[in-house]
Amino acid sequence: MKTLRPIVAALAVLAVLAAVVALSRRRTAPAPTPAAGATPAPTPVPGRLVLFFPGDDAMLHREAREVPELPGGNPLRIRLVVEELVAGSREGYASAIPWGAVVGAVFLDREGNAYIDLSTPPPDTVAGTDGELALVYGTVNSVVANCSGVRRVQVLFGGRQVSTLGHLDLSRPLPPNPELVAP
Amino acid sequence: MVLPHVAMRAKPVLALTLLLLPLTAAAVTVTTPQGPSEVFARGDLLDVLALLRLAGAEVQFAPAAGSYNAAGAGHEVQFTPGGSLAVIDGRLTPLPGPLRVVDGHVVGSLPTAAALLGAFGWTARGTAAAPELARVGGTEQVELSVVRAPTGTTLVLRGTKQRPRVTVVPGSVMLQFAAPVALARPVAPEGGLLAGELHDDTLTLRLASGIEVASSYPLDDPPRFVLRLAKAEPVAPVVTQRVGPLVVLDPGHGGEDQGARGTGGESEKEITLAVARATAARLQAAGVTARLTREGDEEVSLTDRTALANRLQASVFLSIHVNASPARGAHGAETYYMSVDASDPQAAQAAARENASAPPDTVQLILWDLAHVANLNNSARLARGVQERLNALQGIRDRGIRQAPFVVLTGATMPSALVEVGFLSNAQEAGRLLARDTQEEIATALSEAIGEYLRSPTPVPAAPTPTP
Repeated sequence: MKTLRPIVAALAVLAVLAAVVALSRRRTAPAPTPAAGATPAPTPVPGRLVLFFPGDDAMLHREAREVPELPGGNPLRIRLVVEELVAGSREGYASAIPWGAVVGAVFLDREGNAYIDLSTPPPDTVAGTDGELALVYGTVNSVVANCSGVRRVQVLFGGRQVSTLGHLDLSRPLPPNPELVAP
Repeated sequence: MVLPHVAMRAKPVLALTLLLLPLTAAAVTVTTPQGPSEVFARGDLLDVLALLRLAGAEVQFAPAAGSYNAAGAGHEVQFTPGGSLAVIDGRLTPLPGPLRVVDGHVVGSLPTAAALLGAFGWTARGTAAAPELARVGGTEQVELSVVRAPTGTTLVLRGTKQRPRVTVVPGSVMLQFAAPVALARPVAPEGGLLAGELHDDTLTLRLASGIEVASSYPLDDPPRFVLRLAKAEPVAPVVTQRVGPLVVLDPGHGGEDQGARGTGGESEKEITLAVARATAARLQAAGVTARLTREGDEEVSLTDRTALANRLQASVFLSIHVNASPARGAHGAETYYMSVDASDPQAAQAAARENASAPPDTVQLILWDLAHVANLNNSARLARGVQERLNALQGIRDRGIRQAPFVVLTGATMPSALVEVGFLSNAQEAGRLLARDTQEEIATALSEAIGEYLRSPTPVPAAPTPTP
């Protein structure tokens, strides 16, 4: 019993402290801000996406696919488009984003630029000019094709702006490049 | 005898209590010009939404975007809890730390809050326990440091995220910032830098005789702007004594940067160097001076490659690469030249609008633009010639000429192109590209294309039509 006394005493102090903090928070802390979780879930609306994947001719090929829910807002739609690109082609094309990239933050500005943060590619995953073109323009062309109002896209890696992966200038948002799409 | 016993027991309890106190603090008092105000806090993290509101910003949550939008006084900031990036006035900006949600409050560290508040002309200073919200002056303090090395002097400008416009004039270089800056300390003469004078938004750096700007580029994290100085002497004789055109060949990658890798471990950097050397030898034999951006297996930055061509006043810049694709069957050669967002109609319209309303004192800008357009046309002609010659080689598939925004072509002041001579990711083509004979054939094709380009007359850009 003697050995339990300090623990009991500490728990008692903690309980009192918690009660004081709870009361003081009620009294002094400003009202919480509405968080994302408070939003009521929208009714799912199925839709169709057009994605761009590299073929053996190293051109980008259109691939249409149905999705069970097409988000109304662009940030959520951009996230869906990129996640579908990461999932890969269903028609046998190569991967535009050839690693299990996780989509971090998605931003949109007033100029129609979208900024998409992907997890950093492992070393040697994206190689060669065409590897970069497939990654960058597979993403840019797909996002612009599916998200009304988005005109240019800048891909970020690991929460950072990356000026280049070795060839292309990635320091600014890029418009889609129709030259790279197979007729 | 009893008292010390009680004290010994009470010590851990007291320590635990003291340890938990800062973690459980629910609010701190913020000093503002309007008086003290309380905001939610947890440890070192402060309620950034409350701070933004105290600074007069209107903060709203966009459920569809999952992000917050703070607006006021013509400025706008977007950020997402869980991230450490924000779009501040349309520009993506890394934050010093992440934003989190604690008990329904979006919280961040004092520096993170200061970064968001900066957009509205405010800052957060002091400590997390006693923060102060204050207005800041619009002038950034910049500091210029000089780094000397045997290869040349590097000037590093710290303290601003602004990327100044660089104008090089004989004997000096001018850095023009978008907003006025102040020098944290006077510029001291060192290593080719004679003096520095700041007037409002322009910092003029006077350079010693024979010293010139080799390259300039921004760096992130922390934001810096770098100017590399080099001696001008070795360059001048090459240009002045040159009787014919000079071609700069750029073997892609090098050093730690292997470039694309073949299935057998072959590296792009070795093939590009072999092809560039063979091409240079053929050009020299034909009476054309040729220089390589790297002579061996060394790492050269992309901007330095173009800067060398600019410094040598080269007639042609050709970057040589070997391709790779996630589509393993991809094969063939292709040639690129610089894209200026020509495929973006809105960018083109904006440029046209700007040109139409250009005041007369922007003649220099127009001349630069004309030269750029002429270069673009000539770059397309160079790329076409290179691709046609490669197409004539047996076993090479024509993948055509295209435009894309390549860093190594950015800033080239002469006709330039980037050629991909084949795919290392295709096992069959990789085998051919490694063969000495194939490399010699490619070198012959490239040198003939360049020779043909240099012999043909250069189209003159059309004169601008005056707008009424």
